[in-house]
Amino acid sequence: MQLIDKLTVLADAAKYDVSCASSGAPKRSSKGKAGLGATDGMGICHSFTPDGRCVALLKILLTNFCLYDCQYCVNRRSSDVPRARFTPEEVVRLTLDFYRRNCISGLFLSSGIIRSADYTMEQLVEVARLLREEHEFRGYIHLKTIPDAAPELIAAAGRYADRLSVNIELPSESSLVRLAPEKNVGTIKQAMGAIRLGEEEAQAERRAPSFAPAGQSTQMIVGADATDDRTILHTAQTLYGAYRLKRVYYSAFSPIPQSPASVPFEAPPLLREHRLYQADFLLRGYGFSANELLGEPGNLSLDIDPKLAWALANRAQFPVDLNRAEPRLIARVPGIGVLTAKRLVELRRQRRIRYADLIRLRCSMDKLKPFIVAHDYRPAAAGADSTALRRALRETPAQMALW
Amino acid sequence: MQPVRFSGQFADWRRVSRRLLASGAAPASLTWQVDGDGEDLFADAPMAADEAAANTPVRVPRDLPALLEQAARFRAEDRWALLYRILWRVCGGDRTAMLAGDPDGGELHRRIKAVRREAHHLHAFLRFRERDAALGAPQFVAWHDTAHDVLDLGAEHFAKRMGRHTWLVATPEGVARFDGQRLHYQRPCPADIRAFAEGLRDDGEALWQAYYTSTFNPARLNPKVMLNHMPARFWKHLPEGPLIPDLMSRARAGQQRLAQTAAVGEQPGRQVLIARERAQPQRQLPSSLDTCRNCDIWRDATQAVPGQGPAQASIMLVGEQPGDHEDLAGRPFIGPAGEVLARALAAAGLSRDALYLTNAVKHFKWEPRGGPTGRSATRKHATPKPAEIRACHGWLDKEVREVNPRVIVALGRTALASLLEVHDPQRLRLADFTGRPFRHLGRWILVGPHPAAILRAQDGGAALYDTLVQALAEAARLQQETEDSAAALDG
Repeated sequence: MQLIDKLTVLADAAKYDVSCASSGAPKRSSKGKAGLGATDGMGICHSFTPDGRCVALLKILLTNFCLYDCQYCVNRRSSDVPRARFTPEEVVRLTLDFYRRNCISGLFLSSGIIRSADYTMEQLVEVARLLREEHEFRGYIHLKTIPDAAPELIAAAGRYADRLSVNIELPSESSLVRLAPEKNVGTIKQAMGAIRLGEEEAQAERRAPSFAPAGQSTQMIVGADATDDRTILHTAQTLYGAYRLKRVYYSAFSPIPQSPASVPFEAPPLLREHRLYQADFLLRGYGFSANELLGEPGNLSLDIDPKLAWALANRAQFPVDLNRAEPRLIARVPGIGVLTAKRLVELRRQRRIRYADLIRLRCSMDKLKPFIVAHDYRPAAAGADSTALRRALRETPAQMALW
Repeated sequence: MQPVRFSGQFADWRRVSRRLLASGAAPASLTWQVDGDGEDLFADAPMAADEAAANTPVRVPRDLPALLEQAARFRAEDRWALLYRILWRVCGGDRTAMLAGDPDGGELHRRIKAVRREAHHLHAFLRFRERDAALGAPQFVAWHDTAHDVLDLGAEHFAKRMGRHTWLVATPEGVARFDGQRLHYQRPCPADIRAFAEGLRDDGEALWQAYYTSTFNPARLNPKVMLNHMPARFWKHLPEGPLIPDLMSRARAGQQRLAQTAAVGEQPGRQVLIARERAQPQRQLPSSLDTCRNCDIWRDATQAVPGQGPAQASIMLVGEQPGDHEDLAGRPFIGPAGEVLARALAAAGLSRDALYLTNAVKHFKWEPRGGPTGRSATRKHATPKPAEIRACHGWLDKEVREVNPRVIVALGRTALASLLEVHDPQRLRLADFTGRPFRHLGRWILVGPHPAAILRAQDGGAALYDTLVQALAEAARLQQETEDSAAALDG
């Protein structure tokens, strides 16, 4: 099999993992040095595919041969897909070539499980070792961590990689047992725990070798089982808290060829995935808790975003006086982000905030109007009931589909 | 209107504007003219009466120079006029001029954002083409269309990326060349270099095109987002650019349901033939403790933490539940509380290796503190409920029966409540038991404070720590005594 044919198969096999972040690595530079590559903490998207997704890394599997039979996965052993396997040297060659052309910022390498978890992990680590030690590659490396791999292999992966990730796959243990019979939620969490301990050991001592300095992330598949958004957000919140994850990625289940009967034939609406990302952002950046966003079993509303939904359900906290309120509360107003909240606080140290300032700061005025008080503005509809407001503010169905 | 001519370089603008400020020249009275050849520099700038005052640095907010420098890269007729107006207003005491909420400040920040975005575009969408090594330097060549003056920002970036490779980047603004050691600039870009850089192609791009095609998911076609992030003006210089229209139309024409790339779907596939049992990874058989679902604490915990120590230890220490570190590592008493315990054990003359250490509750119960993901986020210990202590009692009881210690030290109320099968710690007062060893089901039971309580104590916990050491020393004494009397009986 030619290299280009392997690349075609193994890039196709890897695209279901949505993470492509290249951010969070420490500053490294090759200026005037042997070797190749730099990182500065900022991620770069070198291209976008017509699905709107960022291409920052060469995202491939080392092989899509796999012993496991995860029902939602195109590479499961019972799937009738073309199979291929790279040698570690081939991955190195592709990474360096694409990197020199400025097509990528680094490598995201994962793999099907071959022979055993340890053997598979050894192969992934070997690619990273070749890049770092033989080729002095200083670009970004993200390695998928195989749960059940020996702790010393996870430790070696952490030395070479900027980011490690272990996929939680599904939001509940019962779904994992049903759809991924070879996986085990216990060993997945233990691998995450081992990574967090490795990170903390490296941070505790200044001269300790670095360990996954860009942290760890995970992915949850949405819509392959019946789990609701509330459970998903709670699982995400637990994972963030327990393992200091940098990100939880939500991947709307993609129907795959020869889909088994155990998983749905239709993809969930991409809007559901989008709402989960919005809610996740509120967890990470705005200090919301999963319970505040979704107190009842069920899913996030599709017609309005989760921040607006929260504001409509908590009218007693509004309107917020922008000239007086705490910055934390200002950032909770629909249509005002963390950056705008910071800018408003800077501005009000100099003078009173007026309605026109918000237009200049490019706030979404329709959304925020009912929820704020400014020096020259009070919402006329402060008394309007939330149902009417919701009807007025809902996104039109035309915008609901992401196609 | 007074014309001000200068070189068009930010450093020169800064000098000129300092003089203008000192002479009190109002923004509305000036027209800025860039004089490319650099002669007659400052010739038209009005001179301040006092030359020394003109050279005295003007005091401005610390971040203003950097903001002005960035905005100066924005190509617009009025770029220097806007900067001077803002500088004038800020120096006059009106700091709102540099804030995003102000009309001038808003424009300043809009320009900075556009410049950053353009620098980012240069970092992201520039593509090097490779030349035959036999042709000599530069080995890598790129042409990139920039809308603002960001060439030097890009050149620094690529110097860091490319190591000792030689390269050339040409933009409408100029040329940056790296010879393996140093950067060289040439402004503006000569027409022949532009033609050379823009026209270069090499045959190594097929691999990248194959990757781009395969990594695209046709079931999620979303051209609007793509266009928003990667404007079409960049496409023509990207190797993947010519593929985009075709990929979109094929996705629309019926591939939308499947995520798989057509070229992969058309190939014959093959299953991995292996029996289900052989595919199952070799794991240690989960202990039944691992799979315990008697209560709900397991859900948010990493793993059950069993006791640890010699199977025949004569002293057993029982804590409340594993903490943050114990949960991650699967071993008891290894976190901060474990360190306190280790000190207390040493003070009491006991060796940790000789003891059996365990907890009344085997999973870590916690709640997020400091926001779920903030920098300060930690897992705050949550006290297990009586029902949860009861649900876990069987596991503790099993350990007690198997290890069969002569002496048990209950560290804290939860441990004591479980050992006495009261289960509700609220019904017990630790003070009633402290310093009073008692016999229970044929063993000595002593009570001491939990090491975590020592850490939490407002007063530094010295008194509690002493109580803990005393309890441990007493345990050692009782253990010795029972051993001696057992030996006497045997003898």
